[in-house]
Amino acid sequence: MAKKTYDLLFKLLLIGDSGVGKTCVLFRFSDDAFNTTFISTIGIDFKIKTVELQGKKIKLQIWDTAGQERFHTITTSYYRGAMGIMLVYDITNGKSFENISKWLRNIDEHANEDVERMLLGNKCDMDDKRVVPKGKGEQIAREHGIRFFETSAKANINIEKAFLTLAEDILRKTPVKEPNSENVDISSGGGVTGWKSKCC
Amino acid sequence: MEEPPLREEEEEEGDEAGPEGALGKSPFQLTAEDVYDISYVMGRELMALGSDPRVTQLQFKIVRVLEMLETLVNEGSLTVEELRMERDNLRKEVEGLRREGSAAGREVNLGPDKMVVDLTDPNRPRFTLQELRDVLQERNKLKSQLLVVQEELQCYKSGLIPAREGPGGRREKGALVTRASNASSNKEEKTIIRKLFSFRSGKQT
Repeated sequence: MAKKTYDLLFKLLLIGDSGVGKTCVLFRFSDDAFNTTFISTIGIDFKIKTVELQGKKIKLQIWDTAGQERFHTITTSYYRGAMGIMLVYDITNGKSFENISKWLRNIDEHANEDVERMLLGNKCDMDDKRVVPKGKGEQIAREHGIRFFETSAKANINIEKAFLTLAEDILRKTPVKEPNSENVDISSGGGVTGWKSKCC
Repeated sequence: MEEPPLREEEEEEGDEAGPEGALGKSPFQLTAEDVYDISYVMGRELMALGSDPRVTQLQFKIVRVLEMLETLVNEGSLTVEELRMERDNLRKEVEGLRREGSAAGREVNLGPDKMVVDLTDPNRPRFTLQELRDVLQERNKLKSQLLVVQEELQCYKSGLIPAREGPGGRREKGALVTRASNASSNKEEKTIIRKLFSFRSGKQT
């Protein structure tokens, strides 16, 4: 396609329990908007956002998964092509925090070994309803050697920072190539196999 | 519920027949009152026999037998009462189960991992996971294609692609659709892209 509108394509994935705000986090980042009504994601969806890092235009294709158990067989098939995974929990929902180890295990089982991981404690604007101390999030992130942010899609806290940091971490691992030798293909986004494109 | 009126009737009969009436009753309908009536009748007749020591001997045994009969009658009526309550409870239980059963149909026979689907429910589950997977894949594919087309349209609108190159560009797009299976078009595409966007990448780097 006449699309050298970007230099690199990174594929990211959002996972975590149902209702923690994965879709809202993504919506804030891609459209800078927030919607309070809860609409459960059906299976899997994605959004595109192009950012500029170190003079490179990086197209982020961000896959948003349904947290509900009944979609897991569909969503886990999308782990494989992800270069970065954001694991989201809700600081007002203890269960969503307890399930982090389960999600991390899912990553180990289904994602690429060198996938860049990040932990997000969302809804940090709701401090009066907080049940997960920030320290606990930091601790579990440290134990697994991954980055951690507390975010709020509603109050727009740390959302862009989280995505840009994850993209930077992936960029750092990306071998430098002659920019125009990239031939990335976003039109096959639906299939896992579509991502064997030479984008990394 | 049926017994008390019956008993009353019997008592009335008994009253009419005098204490002797108790001796004519069915042993299964005997009450403690009847036993006392029988005791009264027998005691009276024993007294009439005089004070022979053998009669006295016999009297002790008769009293003992009557006491035993009294105990058995009391015990029996208690058991009947308990059984009657038990029967009423079970009747209610059966009634309830029958009502549930007619609502839930054959559910009782299903295994632990089975589910009953209400065929009249318009929102009942009816598609398979594979079907959902296919639809989602197609949706996401179309969505990404739309994004590509939108970007391309933006290029035309902003004048990045000169109008005279329009037809060529369009032909190129046709080739792009089948790009995955056509490696040669890749090269062609890249050169065109490079031509069209060289000033852009120059600006970026």
